[in-house]
Amino acid sequence: MNALLFLVPVALGLGVVFVILFLIAVHRGQFDDLDDPPERILHDD
Amino acid sequence: MTVRCAHCGTAVEWDRDDGEVFCCAGCRIASELIRDAGAAEEYYAGRAEYAPRPTDEAEGWDSVEVERTPRGTCRARIQVDGLRCASCVWVTERVLGAVEGVELAEVSYASGRATLEWDADRTDLPELAGRVAALGYRPRVLGESAPADRDLLVRLGVATFAAMNLMLLSAALYAGWFGGMAPRFVALFEWTSLVLATPVALWAATPFYRGAWSGLRSGVLHMDLPIAIAVTVLYGHGVVSTVTGVGDPYFDSLGMLVALLLAGRVLEARGRERASGAARALAATLPTEARRLDADGHPELVPVDRLVAGDRVAVGAGEEVPADGSVIAGDASVRTSVLTGEAEPEPVGEGDAVWAGTVVEHGSLTLTVEAAGNATLVSEMADELERATDRAPRAVGGDRLAPWFTGATLTVAAGTAWAWTALAGWGAALAPTIAVLVVACPCALALSRPLGAAAGLGAAARRGLFLRSGDALLELADVDLVVLDKTGTVTLGAPDVLEARTDTLRVASALERWSNHPIARAIVDEAIRRGIPLPDAQAVVETAGRGVTGRVDGGVWRLEAGDAGEVRLVGPGPAAGTLRLGDRVRPDSRVAVDTLRSLGLDVVLLTGDHPDVAERIAREIGVDVAGARVRPDEKAAWIRDRVSDGRTVLFAGDGLNDGPALTAASVGVAMGTGAAGAVLAADGVVGVPSLRPLAAGLRAAAAARRTVRRSRVRSVIYNVVAVALAAVGWVNPLIAAVLMPASSLLVVAGALSVERTVRSADPSAHDQAPASPADTRLGRAA
Repeated sequence: MNALLFLVPVALGLGVVFVILFLIAVHRGQFDDLDDPPERILHDD
Repeated sequence: MTVRCAHCGTAVEWDRDDGEVFCCAGCRIASELIRDAGAAEEYYAGRAEYAPRPTDEAEGWDSVEVERTPRGTCRARIQVDGLRCASCVWVTERVLGAVEGVELAEVSYASGRATLEWDADRTDLPELAGRVAALGYRPRVLGESAPADRDLLVRLGVATFAAMNLMLLSAALYAGWFGGMAPRFVALFEWTSLVLATPVALWAATPFYRGAWSGLRSGVLHMDLPIAIAVTVLYGHGVVSTVTGVGDPYFDSLGMLVALLLAGRVLEARGRERASGAARALAATLPTEARRLDADGHPELVPVDRLVAGDRVAVGAGEEVPADGSVIAGDASVRTSVLTGEAEPEPVGEGDAVWAGTVVEHGSLTLTVEAAGNATLVSEMADELERATDRAPRAVGGDRLAPWFTGATLTVAAGTAWAWTALAGWGAALAPTIAVLVVACPCALALSRPLGAAAGLGAAARRGLFLRSGDALLELADVDLVVLDKTGTVTLGAPDVLEARTDTLRVASALERWSNHPIARAIVDEAIRRGIPLPDAQAVVETAGRGVTGRVDGGVWRLEAGDAGEVRLVGPGPAAGTLRLGDRVRPDSRVAVDTLRSLGLDVVLLTGDHPDVAERIAREIGVDVAGARVRPDEKAAWIRDRVSDGRTVLFAGDGLNDGPALTAASVGVAMGTGAAGAVLAADGVVGVPSLRPLAAGLRAAAAARRTVRRSRVRSVIYNVVAVALAAVGWVNPLIAAVLMPASSLLVVAGALSVERTVRSADPSAHDQAPASPADTRLGRAA
């Protein structure tokens, strides 16, 4: 059972990595506008 | 010589012939900006319409929330009004992108929202806004600050991550509780839980602390207060029991509570943002130039903003009246749909008043200008509507329960402390008192309204009714009187051939084939619908006010206006005859009205049209006429009277003129096919050309309100039971961990049942919605 002393922090660390990825995605504005991007490809520029 | 401004297309007097002509310095600057951005060629070739004239920029740029990006640049979002086509979007992005220091400029065509990112040392927001204004678009401060939404999303993400892991750790602790667990593993799990719970309580939950505090300062017991108390007590208790090793931390309940409540907040914020996106300024469809008569009666083309009261103006068939005024010569039929919403043209003659924005269908007029530019009725209406969109939010229903909840919890906690102290002394009182504060969960109570409303809004939107806010939805549940406008709401809103012989229609359609007139389109459409091959017509001459003549099958035919609502075909041969035209009732209006009545509502018709027509239409759909020949302000007054009689009125209309009535009604719904101004004034929009979404929306509203009420009752029952258990000292963390999420999940389940309830009430309506809300500008607006 001593493996838990090692595995619990490792599992949490992995989770934190994903939270950080999520934060980066939010800060890059990926969740700001969920309506427009699918239509942008229709505009020619 | 009259030429057109190369940028905005306004007619200007210009004597020399030296290249491009601009009407004003603003247009010249706009054009230079576009050229500097290297976009001139593509823009001027690709645009669908002339550009708007440059305007003064809006003020208040200090109040825009500017965000610092990790790269050290500034980022903000502003609203840009007046974007008309993809080229507008494109040129705005290009011009902004060419400004030194701008890192990113993205403009959304659908919402008119621009996302800007710039280097603060090299440029600033007022300068960027000035560039947009110089192009002729209207930048303004966005009502809702977008970064707040992002902030909530980040909090939700972190809280959810923590809550999931807290649950996992707690499950292990509960297992150890029954099966036994080495103390050092208990300590490991508890301390890990503490680490996870700390950011949730100290950071993710801060919006609730802030809400509670600002509520307290202004003397209101906000729903955030019990939430803040619960989070504080849960966390404080958890820290103490972890550090001392005595007692059980309730960290899993804490994580769940904060994550669920934040999810509710995010849903609400998203809904609000959509609503503010709908509030786009109205681009009034006024003509840009007028034919002014000089002293000798010679017409000259002038920009419409040069007109002053007293000028004489000539207006021909098919043209829009450029200013408010009175007719001094001529006879014509004028379509006033922009003001009255009625499609039938009205005859006007000498001495009659005409308004800017109305369209001369037949004949021609000479009029004396009485009001021009911003003083015209249509401009004033547009202004009023713009102001009307900044409606004050209604009182929030859920908050009425908050003071009761807080009061009751604190009272019971105090009572528990007192009773235990009296019976067993100080030491024994602490644990049950804290347990009472811990298990008294405002979660279900606080979630019931946003979740129920969101589910109701979704159910209504899937059936074609897009409402702006949960408040409007819950108000809709109380509606007992439905007032319908006629043209464009009950009817199709455009002339249609009601009666015509096939041979007559065949010749008529040949004559009208190339005309853009609404009546011509109706005739050609009907011929196509009946499968009549359109014959060729030669030498077609359209004479303003006198109809069309042309050669068809070797004979010369003339199509001219007959009696009201009739068009006469005159010529050699048996095809000569009459076509009867009129505004046709939508095929499903009758069904929609029947459904509304079956829900126990009164339905009446209120129209600006002739009483006879109103009567005919009313009979056809089976409703009473509440009034005919009603002016827009009278419509609003009539509705206001009913509201003050204690009735909850739903008004559905489509014209710019319906704005006052839409605002006066408890819930105003605009037909998505109508004027943009009506959409702005309304609480909601019907996104499909039908009245059926109204009934579906009412069902959704009723189901949502039932769900909200049921959730509140469930939440109260949960709290009574849980608090009673806690007060007598029977609650342990496992029971709390089961009870607290269970009450919240019941609320979620209730919200999910809204869609099912609405569907089972009216299965046929399920396919009414457009394939995607994004299909129409209006779907998006809602």
